[in-house]
Amino acid sequence: MNLKPTRSSAELASVPSADDESAVDLSELQEAGRAIMHNVETVIDGKREAVKIALTVLLAEGHLLIEDVPGVGKTMLAKALARSVDCTVGRIQFTPDLLPSDVTGVSVFNQAERRFEFKPGPVFANIVIGDEINRASPKTQSALLESMEERQVTVDGVTYPLALPFTVIATQNPIEMEGTYALPEAQRDRFMARISMGYPDSKSELAMLDSRDTGSPLALISAVVSGDTLRDMMLTARAVFASSAVKEYAVTLVRATRDDRDLRLGASPRATLQLIRAAKAQAALDGRDYVLPDDIDSLAVAVLGHRLVPTSRALGHHHQNSGPLIDDIVRRILADTPVPVGLGASALPVSMPPVRIIPSRPVGSTGQS
Amino acid sequence: MTSLSTKPALSMDTLPSQRARPPRLPHSRRGTRDAAVWPLVVSLLLLLLICCAALGPLLRGSAWWWVCAAVASAVLLGSAVFRRLGLPRPLVPVANIALLVATLTLLFGGGTAVFWFIPTPQTVDTFAGLIDAGRASVAQQSTPAEVTLGILFLLAGGTGLIAIAMDLLAVTLRWPALAAVGALVPLLAPGFIIDDGADIAALTAAAIAFLLLLRVDVYVRRAQEAAQESARDPAGVRAPRVYRTQRPRGTGSIGGAVLVGTLTIVGALILSTLTPALTTSGLVTAGPAGLLFGSGVSPLINLGQDLRRPKAGPAFHYTSTGTEQPYFTLLTLDQVIGLTWTARIDGADTRNTVDDIARPFGLDNSVETLKASTSVVIDGVNSHWLPAPARATKVEGLIGRWYWDSRTRAIASTTGNTLSQTYTVSSLEIKPTADQLRRSSTDYPASVLGNLQLPVNPPPIIEQTARQVTEGTSSGYDAAVAVQNYLRSSAFTYDTEAPVEDGYDGGGVDVIGVFLQQKRGYCVHFAATMAAMARTLGIPSRVSLGYLPGVKSQDFQQGLGQYDVDSHDLHAWPELYFVGIGWVKFEPTPGRGSVPNFEQAVDAGTPTSGPGGAAANSAPGLSVDRLADDSALERGATAPSAASTNLLGIIGFSALGLLVLLLPGITRRMLRLSRMRRIHSAGGAAALAWIELQHTSLDHGIPVPVTETPRAFTMRLERLRRLDTESTEALDRVLLSLERSRFDRSPKRADTLADDLTLVLRALHASASVGIRLRATFAPTSLFAALGAVLLGERRARTLAP
Repeated sequence: MNLKPTRSSAELASVPSADDESAVDLSELQEAGRAIMHNVETVIDGKREAVKIALTVLLAEGHLLIEDVPGVGKTMLAKALARSVDCTVGRIQFTPDLLPSDVTGVSVFNQAERRFEFKPGPVFANIVIGDEINRASPKTQSALLESMEERQVTVDGVTYPLALPFTVIATQNPIEMEGTYALPEAQRDRFMARISMGYPDSKSELAMLDSRDTGSPLALISAVVSGDTLRDMMLTARAVFASSAVKEYAVTLVRATRDDRDLRLGASPRATLQLIRAAKAQAALDGRDYVLPDDIDSLAVAVLGHRLVPTSRALGHHHQNSGPLIDDIVRRILADTPVPVGLGASALPVSMPPVRIIPSRPVGSTGQS
Repeated sequence: MTSLSTKPALSMDTLPSQRARPPRLPHSRRGTRDAAVWPLVVSLLLLLLICCAALGPLLRGSAWWWVCAAVASAVLLGSAVFRRLGLPRPLVPVANIALLVATLTLLFGGGTAVFWFIPTPQTVDTFAGLIDAGRASVAQQSTPAEVTLGILFLLAGGTGLIAIAMDLLAVTLRWPALAAVGALVPLLAPGFIIDDGADIAALTAAAIAFLLLLRVDVYVRRAQEAAQESARDPAGVRAPRVYRTQRPRGTGSIGGAVLVGTLTIVGALILSTLTPALTTSGLVTAGPAGLLFGSGVSPLINLGQDLRRPKAGPAFHYTSTGTEQPYFTLLTLDQVIGLTWTARIDGADTRNTVDDIARPFGLDNSVETLKASTSVVIDGVNSHWLPAPARATKVEGLIGRWYWDSRTRAIASTTGNTLSQTYTVSSLEIKPTADQLRRSSTDYPASVLGNLQLPVNPPPIIEQTARQVTEGTSSGYDAAVAVQNYLRSSAFTYDTEAPVEDGYDGGGVDVIGVFLQQKRGYCVHFAATMAAMARTLGIPSRVSLGYLPGVKSQDFQQGLGQYDVDSHDLHAWPELYFVGIGWVKFEPTPGRGSVPNFEQAVDAGTPTSGPGGAAANSAPGLSVDRLADDSALERGATAPSAASTNLLGIIGFSALGLLVLLLPGITRRMLRLSRMRRIHSAGGAAALAWIELQHTSLDHGIPVPVTETPRAFTMRLERLRRLDTESTEALDRVLLSLERSRFDRSPKRADTLADDLTLVLRALHASASVGIRLRATFAPTSLFAALGAVLLGERRARTLAP
């Protein structure tokens, strides 16, 4: 496990270069993305959509929540994704008795040096896999969730910045309710996207029987992208251009969720932000340096779904699992929202001022100063 | 593109949850007050057209209905467009009237207008003439009336005014129930004018249309309430909260309105069917002053009214070369329908031009005839019928199109009137001898057998009197003379007032019974009585209306030989049919006119008409009658040249109609060409190309929802499998071009854009079925959609910057 200080200083140095020009070429990025996807798909069959969204979230520096019934490969996806990138991986298996310090790390008294020494927890990694996150007590959950948002950990009054990139891939089981603590809305909001794996189709399942009969498939895959490349890719993805039309579309969509009759709680402004960010990453993965409304469309369900709370009327009998219902609502909103294409008053393209990507503060640097 | 399948999957209805949801038009809720008025206008139009159709029994043919429909549509749809354009409400009726005038000018202006529809003073004159002519035609014709240009103008104008009133009431003031009052005018008119009452089917259809109107009004009201509600909270303008429950506010009162409307209609229906024929009781208004006959429905009555007019006005003057001064026949009533004498209508044929009128029916060569020429100058007669001496053979100098009736030989016009006409009539005077009349057989040809009909139960006094008077006579002629003498005897008094005071005015068969007891009356009564009595005796008869010969002019400057006829010379006389001679005039009215003296003719005539000659006369007389039967009449009557003048008009109207039909297609084509030109010339025309692509898709029946991304739309097009590989690639290039221009930092010029677009459009068109291709070419949907968008856009601009 690496400690942060060294990393983040290296990060700081790399930022200015990203400002002027993308660190990696779009085609390189697309290539790397394909490699990762291909790698992951050797262990996950027939889940191209889920894999792609997972990769998009990784590239967009977000956190991913995988929610599904046991045994469909949630953990496998997380692990495969983590393994495809040459970076540090932390894994936390959440249980009811897990303590916050088990996540963040503890200060241990060093007898020899006679001082407290910080032992970083599993959260100090580039990719953190949190398994069965809803099994832990809220206290422990919030320890992780705080670090997700703030990208830093404070133990005993000392703030330790986390690694960069830092991505949490959490899994949870929506069916099993006994002895679980469902994530509150506020904490779900911190995940960029939620995906559910879904059962594989019969062909994929059959193929899986042939190929994964023995041994751990994870052993077969190795890293295809270095951590530095991933960082560069993230910067490149950030620099993708989102036109005002697309932004307007995203805002319209999110606003529509707030006014929808079936939703008690709509999406937050953070959702808008993350929707655009994810759309940029996806556009980059497709080799485009501009975002299309289609990117927004294809990501809206994943990005908005877990933030919405349906009304009890709309929920009806879906008390156990509101996921499919909410996906339907989001799809309906998508189908009802006009797309801002060039059919407005002026048919000629409006010359838009080039929107400069403000060089985002290195996320890990706050604790440094 | 693997990641982009979410939206297409949605739009292609693969999700069951989506399929079940009713499709929501993105702009359906934005329509405010005026947007929702279209259905109201359409239902108003429906009601009005049905009510116009109810006039059918009164008029001949159906072409007039189309004219009314055109005017009504122009006014009502025009008003809807005005509202859509945001014209202030008080101005809408004004604009409507202007529209009506323009429409009428276009239809009836006859080239006097500027740009076909801007009226000029000449147009006003034309209209005034049409109104006069129309009123005259209405007054003179019996039902079903021939639709002259004047009547058509009145109908169209009336329909337009009713449409404006309905629009004002129903749309502006929102009292749709009252709007039906306007519609009732044409609906109930037949009930008052003809005996049969209004058509039940038409009434029912109108009632249904009226209920529909009320229902649509309720719907519109609710829609507007909902729209206003959503307009009140600004966040809700674009919110997809479409299923907001509408409060059933006002349902009770609206239900009540519907109930009241239903009762009204049902009541009107019952009333109308129960309405007796009110014609004989004088509900039909007398014609305008100075007119000959007030109404074609009952000319006999109106003749009396004209006679009772205290001051006589000049009718016409004439000079004649004949040996005796002729009676001028206007029209002939040769049929008894119900109890009244009416003009039989089935013989009218507008192709019978007056240049060459057939030889009088049933006139044998042996009867001495004399050609006479009469020059007439009309002073005050304003009529649809031409005063002309009996047995006219030729009329020259007339303006307008005139025809002669092959049965009664009355001369009439559908388009013109007699006012200020000057013409010369060539006619035949017949000089039959009393002997010829006496020897006439009773072997009547089929075409005059109808002139023997009487009502089922005529007053018995008619036949009793006839038998009594004619006792001892041996021939039909002697009997007729006996009746004539009886009526002219001192037992009868000429009196134009008494019948009115005692309530037996007119020439109806029932009136005759009263008249024979009262023995007071005027020419109408005498003529009708003699005709009826002749029929009871088995002699075909009819009643002619017209003018007496008048008096010799006192004005020496006019020259001698001129006769003046005034309105008090109006007269009615009976005509009886004699085989071999034809229709012979009698004069039963005491103190009026001149009694035809055939006995005199015998005395004055050469004694050469011996028994042999007379014997020779009677047999051929019969044969002539048979020869000159209806077929011969009709053969000579056709006038082929009449159609040629119509041809030009037909061609013109067809061309105009064709142009109107082709207009959408041409507009669409020009729009596309202009876009293509701009795409060629201007950089960054991808958006324009995209619009063209979308519009072409719309034309070909491919929906273009605004909620679909360009890429999703493209993929859908490609999935339709209507494009080949080449055009698919071209489509991809067009898409890329659009996306770059719309979503990228700096749009890049695509040189092949126009070619690609052309390729795609051609492929789209070629792959469609024939029907769709025709529709796309001649009725392009996108054009109407674009028009709607323009209208919406203007409205939006107005609401933003009032």
